[in-house]
Amino acid sequence: MTAFLSYLISGLAIGCTYALVASGFVAIHRVTRVVNFAQGAFPVLAGLTVSSMLGRGLPHGAAELIGIAVAGLAGLVVGVVAIGKRGTPTLASLVITLGLGILAYAVEIVIWGDQPVSYSMLTGSVNIGGARIPTQYFLVIGVTVVTFVALALFFSRTYVGKALSACASNPYAARLTGIDPTRMGLVAFTLGGLLGGLAGVLITPLQPVAFDSDVLLATSGFAAAIFGGLNSAYAALVGGIVLGVLQAFVAGYLDAAYQTEVTLVLIILVMLYQSGRRSALTEELA
Amino acid sequence: MSAAVGSRGRAAAGARRPDALRVVGWVLGTLAAVVTLVAPAVLPRPQLTVYVLTGTAAMVTIGVSLLMGYAGQVSLGQAAFYAIGGYTAGLLAVHGVPTLLALAAAPLVAGGLGALVGLPILRLRGHYLAFATLAFQLILLAVVGQVAFFGGDIGLQGIPQLSLGGEALTGVQAYAWVTWVGVALVLLVTRNIIASRPGRGLRALATSETAAESCGVPVTGYKVTVFALSAAFAGLAGGIYAFFIGYLAPGSFPVLLSFQFVVMAVVGGLGTVWGPVVGAVVITLLVQVLNDLGTRPGMPPYASSVFSYAVYAVLLIVVLLFLPRGLLPALSGLLQRLLPGSRRPRAETAPALTDEAAPTGGARE
Repeated sequence: MTAFLSYLISGLAIGCTYALVASGFVAIHRVTRVVNFAQGAFPVLAGLTVSSMLGRGLPHGAAELIGIAVAGLAGLVVGVVAIGKRGTPTLASLVITLGLGILAYAVEIVIWGDQPVSYSMLTGSVNIGGARIPTQYFLVIGVTVVTFVALALFFSRTYVGKALSACASNPYAARLTGIDPTRMGLVAFTLGGLLGGLAGVLITPLQPVAFDSDVLLATSGFAAAIFGGLNSAYAALVGGIVLGVLQAFVAGYLDAAYQTEVTLVLIILVMLYQSGRRSALTEELA
Repeated sequence: MSAAVGSRGRAAAGARRPDALRVVGWVLGTLAAVVTLVAPAVLPRPQLTVYVLTGTAAMVTIGVSLLMGYAGQVSLGQAAFYAIGGYTAGLLAVHGVPTLLALAAAPLVAGGLGALVGLPILRLRGHYLAFATLAFQLILLAVVGQVAFFGGDIGLQGIPQLSLGGEALTGVQAYAWVTWVGVALVLLVTRNIIASRPGRGLRALATSETAAESCGVPVTGYKVTVFALSAAFAGLAGGIYAFFIGYLAPGSFPVLLSFQFVVMAVVGGLGTVWGPVVGAVVITLLVQVLNDLGTRPGMPPYASSVFSYAVYAVLLIVVLLFLPRGLLPALSGLLQRLLPGSRRPRAETAPALTDEAAPTGGARE
């Protein structure tokens, strides 16, 4: 029971960070139809930035905010390059984000080197039913819940949020009402960067990040996002938590080495199941 | 839509009249073949290594171009089949199978596994397929790293030299010629497929699977076949690589390698036969030059890896934004305008990375 509780809560926390990365994928894909393969670079950038800010003596809070802001800025840059040029086809934008993800490697190695970094945020642990759970896990879960509530309010209550949803459902109609879909696309990329950055800030104390951590972060985030077909942040939250808990149980009860395989096979099965329910014609016309 | 019709038009036109550009193409192609055939005899040893690695990369990239450019299916896991070819050849040779047989088995096993994997995952489209192929590679690397039979994370050592007719190939030169033959074989197969009736079927299904299916193109069969074929190309390249290097480990086939093949294909020109070769050569040479620059005294230790990442990234982005059809089609378009007696602007006939040439799920509005 003790082991079960500790696996469950660590899985929940890791799953929450996946959900944050995933919501970034969703935010960008809904509005621009681009799958941002540079999404994994945002958490890495944020994690690296926070660790060097803390190293320079900045207090907690300020360092984390700077890290998230850097990731948001990176999101904007990715957006400008990927969709800023008029008439760039969606598939070309996708490959461009892949290129930007590789470019991020070069930048990160020059600034931070190629060794993994970490830092501590909340130390100490809480005793629940005999299991000692690090406090950081609860921080991650709490921040994620607050973020998703804030996202819900943003999309339903603010003008920009509604404009983003408008572009997501019909860019042509949105343009008729005076919304600029390209500008909204850039807003979406920035939002994706901020969400990815938040994930990175939260996960770095749990798993050290290096420049090439982005593949696994992006893979897990994408996996969580496809639960909702890349179009629903709430489905991404559910997907992220399912994935995180599943990974924790596989690692705990079987072998940590099988974590990747189990996750990836599950994702492929989910995708195949989903594709069976869509016809080729609807995909081609979508 | 224009891409498929245009390419078909080009094939038909090419068969009917040898226009000026076609002649230039033949001359350049023959020249390239002769120069690369003679080159191993005169190149110094370090350059020969680059030659072999460029050739194997070109073989994989031709498969990527066939898959992405003609059939419209994205693969971000092509290095997985490169690895499968390498491990097939390496394991067979280590266990005493004649090396030539082991090399022949590499494309067969890679192609067979390609068909097996392709059958389920080719039901996916666009970014879903891209992700599934990437996931396949990650799974493969994890499995290879854990199973002792494959050498685990430490790797597979002691792969013997390739031997032809009882004579072991010890020189780098010999491997360069083996690579040349491999590239020529892959080019020939690709060219013939594209010029055939199934080749036109492939281009049709890239435009719209539904439309192609209703015209009688066996969509699933063609997609799986071309996926298996591109896997076989990668497998053959992997087999040569295994004998050439003599050592294999999961770390030799990172995800970045798969991205690199895509970059080469896109930069050279998707949906052309020679484009991927141009892409592989240009990028390998550029990375090599920068690598030399990066390892000069006074440079920081990370310089060469930073340079190569930056080259891949910047070239990919610049080409996609400003020469979306790739280097080769852009060049031949330029030639076409300069040559006398040209009627059709060549640039319009090569498929590019547009939504029309490669439909992806939900990619179009």
